[in-house]
Amino acid sequence: MSAPLSRTRDLVAALRRQLGEDDPQPPRAPLPPVPLPPERVFPSPRRRSRMAEAAAAHTTALVGIGHVGTRYATDVVLQFQAELAVAHGAVAAELPDGWAEARGYVPVRSRVAHHREFLLRPDLGRRLDEPSAARWSAECRKDVDVQPILADGLSAVATMGAGPELLDAFTRECERKGWSVGTPVCAKFARVWLQDEIGELARARVAVILLGERPGLGTGDGLSAYLVYGPKRGNTDGNRNMMSNIHARGTPPVDAARRLAVLVHLMLEQGTSGVSLDLAPRAAELGEAARGGYRAPQARSRLVEV
Amino acid sequence: MKLQATIRGVAYSFGSVKEVLAKANPPKSGDDLAGVSAREPVERVAARAVLAQLTLAELRANPVVPYEADELTRLVEDSLDESAYNAVKHLSVGQFREWILDAGTTAARLRSVGPGLTPEMAAAVCKLMSNMDLMVAGAKCEVLVRCNNTLGLPGTLSSRLQPNHPTDDVEGILYSAREGLVYGCGDAVLGVNPATDTPESTAEILRALGDLRTRNQIPTQQCVLSHVTVQMKALALDCPMDLMFQSVAGTQAANAAFGIDVRLMDEAWDLMRRRRSSLGPNFMYFETGQGNALSSDAHHGADQVTLEARAYGFSRRYKPFLVNTVVGFIGPEYLEDGPQITRAGLEDHFMGKLMGLPMGCDACFTYHARMSQDELEGLKVLLGAAGCTYLMSLPVGDDIMLTYPSTSFHDVPTVRGLVRKSPAPEFDAWLASRGISSGFTPGARFGDVTVLR
Repeated sequence: MSAPLSRTRDLVAALRRQLGEDDPQPPRAPLPPVPLPPERVFPSPRRRSRMAEAAAAHTTALVGIGHVGTRYATDVVLQFQAELAVAHGAVAAELPDGWAEARGYVPVRSRVAHHREFLLRPDLGRRLDEPSAARWSAECRKDVDVQPILADGLSAVATMGAGPELLDAFTRECERKGWSVGTPVCAKFARVWLQDEIGELARARVAVILLGERPGLGTGDGLSAYLVYGPKRGNTDGNRNMMSNIHARGTPPVDAARRLAVLVHLMLEQGTSGVSLDLAPRAAELGEAARGGYRAPQARSRLVEV
Repeated sequence: MKLQATIRGVAYSFGSVKEVLAKANPPKSGDDLAGVSAREPVERVAARAVLAQLTLAELRANPVVPYEADELTRLVEDSLDESAYNAVKHLSVGQFREWILDAGTTAARLRSVGPGLTPEMAAAVCKLMSNMDLMVAGAKCEVLVRCNNTLGLPGTLSSRLQPNHPTDDVEGILYSAREGLVYGCGDAVLGVNPATDTPESTAEILRALGDLRTRNQIPTQQCVLSHVTVQMKALALDCPMDLMFQSVAGTQAANAAFGIDVRLMDEAWDLMRRRRSSLGPNFMYFETGQGNALSSDAHHGADQVTLEARAYGFSRRYKPFLVNTVVGFIGPEYLEDGPQITRAGLEDHFMGKLMGLPMGCDACFTYHARMSQDELEGLKVLLGAAGCTYLMSLPVGDDIMLTYPSTSFHDVPTVRGLVRKSPAPEFDAWLASRGISSGFTPGARFGDVTVLR
């Protein structure tokens, strides 16, 4: 039992009838009901086309999703929009005030004033603001072998997720090898090159920055790590080594920490990093730490359930 | 040469042609980052007024990077078609804009002057055009190229099929490739960005795509977008390389950051001339994008539109089969939002076409740029209407390797339907023979992968 659509409309219709001005045309023949379209769904392990099922063993690409005319089925549109929203949410997130202090990290920030400026001015994200530089210089342990840095980068969601676990695991790996490790620090509005100034102030031999990477569709939880020997302002990308896709579905933090420690080991041995670092001497260790070989694709999870 | 204009009694003067070119640009975050953009909107119009008065001869005499300092400037200057240049050198940029838009100026006439234009001339006239001007002018230019099929015929819109995979799993690549083909995509190229940049992996992917193409007799070409030096080594591994790819930029220093120079590209071109698996005569594939010079600090204080045009000046030496601008991929520090990305896509398409290149566009953004999916869909239709040679195509437009949204398998037939354009003729005939589609109309087997072997 539903409420009338509009009391005004009912009153006007009644008035028309009283005045004998009802539609003089004979009523139209009823239209045949539109048939229900065949079920087209975003592939999931429970419901997917045979093609999508076979493809899932090899790829996370969305294939076998069918079409309506040349466009997507409604279910596909909704899943797609949900994945997009997750990515945009990860980009827009910021490290809250007090988050770093609560975990015992020295909080520092770049010269960026707000989030939009962070996206538009990579140059400002590569330098510490003056109070941060002063505080870091006063509080950090000096002349260390390794300076780990946690930072937001392009996904604070990733940093707040697996960031502390990765930082702890990496610190433990370094200590196990007998290296001195710098004071834990967390940087807000940070670009990769900020590791140079932070590492230089601590007079670290190697600086390692762990930061949120650019989110992809449906994901915003990936971390990347960049390593540089002899951190100092003026270093370029050619001086750095990097590792990406650090998250539960990619390289888990504990495995990543082991691989990062192998890279640090090579840098300390060879006194260099980036394009001139020779990975061959510890290729076996790197391979083992990376657990090389075939890996099945990550499952693409269904985000919308109703 | 007068570099001054007055608006409402205020005189605006500029120190150089390079400064005029930069300040005449519509707002771009990358020009702000480089510190070369106009300070306020009226100054921007004043710069355009000055630019409109400069002649093409004055632009030739004032390249944004000096002849002595840059091999791209030398390449353009030394190989300019003098007779084509002489036909237009006396025009001011404002008059040149009007000549391009004039109904009496045919595609053939535009094509004949293209080889006489320096990149600075193409960039200059671009700055005096609105988005719709750019579409009208872009649609007028006809650039025809041939490899295993023919791209750029009037009434056609092609697409690159981009079946990228995060671990280069060949079966995974083939699943995406087959799906795209049955949506009518892939007439420009089956082109994979590899996750692993090695000759062996490049050769393996090329063989897999080549087999798929041969088995189903598909008239298109395959390419793996590894670094040019890697592809040169892969050629020695006996693999079917139809097109050779490289990312290019608008200055010698920016190309150095990509690990290339004119000499290396000449060598690569010559190797492909002898060893390629395709018919030709066009067999090179270049990608560009506004901001790529600044990102390697190699912009020489010039604006990103002019530098982009200079990348086309470099590209045309090699008579490429494909050139595309990866317009939104570089990030919001160069193109901040939907309007900037849309504008840049239309600019790049027009400038490339005017200079005689078969321009495609990867209509895309990154998730940290402020662009919506609806705005991106709009750009695809604008490009289709502007006569863009080809768009990209991926499963739901999602690149699972490079993690950014682009054009989808569904978008390509949709845009074709909306602007009533067909695939390349050889490919169109193949699609019709399989019942997939005919022209811009889907057929009975549209979207059905079982039509492929």
